[in-house]
Amino acid sequence: MILDTIRAGKEKHFPGVDLEDEELTDCQLEKINLAGANLAGTDFSGSNLKGARLDGANLLGADLKMTDLRANLLGANLMQADLSNADLRGSNLRGANLMGAKLAQASLSGAFLSGANLTGVNLKGVDLRGTDLRGVNLNSANLKGANLSQADLQGANLSETNLEEADLRGANLAGANLTGANLLVAELEGSNLDGANMERACVLGTAIVR
Amino acid sequence: MLEGSILQRLDEAHCHSKQPLNLGVYYKNTLVALCHALEDFILDTHSEPISIAVFQRGKWYLEEADRYSDLADKSEHITILTCPDGGFQNHPTSDKANVELVEIEPQDPVSQEWHLMIISPTYTAMVLCQELSDDDYGDNKPKEDLERKFYGFWTFEPELVREAIEITIDHVKGYRPELAEQLSEKVARMSHIYGLRQRDDLDAVVSQVVKYLQNSKKTLHHPETASNFQGFKDLDENIVSNEMQAFLRMAQLLDATDVSNPMAASEVASMAEAMSQLLDLPAWQAKRLYLSGLLHRVGLPDVTRENKQSLAQEQALKNRSTPKASVLRVMPQLEAVSKILIHQREAWDGSGIPAGLAYDAIPLESRIICLLADFQQKMKAYKQYSKDDNFLARALEDCQALAGRRYDPKLLDALSLLVMGMQQGMTLQGYQPKIATGMWLVNSNAANRNQIVSPEP
Repeated sequence: MILDTIRAGKEKHFPGVDLEDEELTDCQLEKINLAGANLAGTDFSGSNLKGARLDGANLLGADLKMTDLRANLLGANLMQADLSNADLRGSNLRGANLMGAKLAQASLSGAFLSGANLTGVNLKGVDLRGTDLRGVNLNSANLKGANLSQADLQGANLSETNLEEADLRGANLAGANLTGANLLVAELEGSNLDGANMERACVLGTAIVR
Repeated sequence: MLEGSILQRLDEAHCHSKQPLNLGVYYKNTLVALCHALEDFILDTHSEPISIAVFQRGKWYLEEADRYSDLADKSEHITILTCPDGGFQNHPTSDKANVELVEIEPQDPVSQEWHLMIISPTYTAMVLCQELSDDDYGDNKPKEDLERKFYGFWTFEPELVREAIEITIDHVKGYRPELAEQLSEKVARMSHIYGLRQRDDLDAVVSQVVKYLQNSKKTLHHPETASNFQGFKDLDENIVSNEMQAFLRMAQLLDATDVSNPMAASEVASMAEAMSQLLDLPAWQAKRLYLSGLLHRVGLPDVTRENKQSLAQEQALKNRSTPKASVLRVMPQLEAVSKILIHQREAWDGSGIPAGLAYDAIPLESRIICLLADFQQKMKAYKQYSKDDNFLARALEDCQALAGRRYDPKLLDALSLLVMGMQQGMTLQGYQPKIATGMWLVNSNAANRNQIVSPEP
């Protein structure tokens, strides 16, 4: 059975495979190639997917809790996926669709997210240090208390976001859309706000006012 | 920020300095719990403080008037600034010889503020806040008292407290010049003896703050509390965030009082995180290690440190009032960190404290913190006192000399890689975490993470 082969960990080449709703929890799946695979609803919780190829994979509603997901997720469909506590440090999430995904306690520092769809995602208190978020659509996202220090948010859409108490020190917000954003006591020391649109943004207690 | 307010004046004085104020958001119940904890500590402290309180409106004072009567009996002096609003002049507390009420005008920006400043030779603390204005609230105006939001900050740092008090006394001058002068004298006298007496146990006041905050959380969920209030989650998080802030502020104060090494916490934390990358530790462990680094001085066991650079007095004070790692256990989310730090002075060969653990029995994270804390101290000392630029290499050599005895030899390999990186220009950001944003550091999902993992990666 293909699942046993995968679990055995010796073979790695499984692009395009159909593993919908299957269970692969707590497995060693380092460097596995699942590019373009159908992994909708698959349970990977606790597994090690470091260096895996998941580009273009369908991970709709997949369970990726507590995985080591420092992998290639270029253009992956992660809608409704559960990524809580996942290790996504430095991962490639360019063009990935994360609408409705759960990201509580996930580590995303240094991840590449440009072109990703993050509308309405709850990123409260998430570690997003040094992430590449250029041009990302974060409209209405909850980023309360998130750590976005040194992040590149050039041209990102941050309209109506909740950035209360967020750490944006050294972040690049050039040309970002911050209309209606809540930046109450957000830390903006050393950030670049050239050409950022701050209409109706609440900037109480930030470096802009001081 | 209200122009001419005390918070604004203090903020302005600091906004261009290296240490701008660490502002945060506070809900009313968080603020009340915080102030009560800091005020009630006056009843336990070893000296009689001078306090200045600013209440937004007279009626808040009336709620507190009985408590303040007890506080007055253990204080040198209490000054309360508030708007005339409902006969507080008639409350018996106002008649006490060492309690002064200053009536401020409604148009005075200070009348919108909520402050508490406490100063004594052994205890300094302060809370400085303003409520969001109607405009600030925008579409989210509070319908319940519980929803009222404030922003500002709170701290234990004596310098900041003194500065805020001076600004406030200056403000009082406009109303009661003789009282202002009296207060100036009292504070000057107090500052003179500050540092000559053993500071009150920081862990006692921090434990109190955390416990009061936790109680406040319980009251929130009590069925008698406003039944149609929907925003519990935000209020709960605000409380947890402030519990975390209490420990981070204590760590900050411990760093600040060590003039020879005021960046120890953030440098050890940054190095710990870099080391977890080198050791390929999982993200949750890297985060926990980072937090342990930030709090490592809080958790130091009670022994003499070989920090010869400190003033003898500073040393004596530190030794006797050094908090212990067990204080971290007051906050359940910090239980794991507490265990890590309890063992941060164990030695690889079993000759350390407190438990004489050896080799792999010592939690990996404790071994890492042990090595990095020592390395950071040596690095600092060499940088400051030696003539050569090779302070990193010298510090590393010192640590290598103790490989196998004090330190895990495998960790020294990782440390040399780290040092190479630093020599090639990788910087320790000296990144001071934003204290008010404790959220990203707190792993509330820590149920199965509470075990300290000892295996080698």
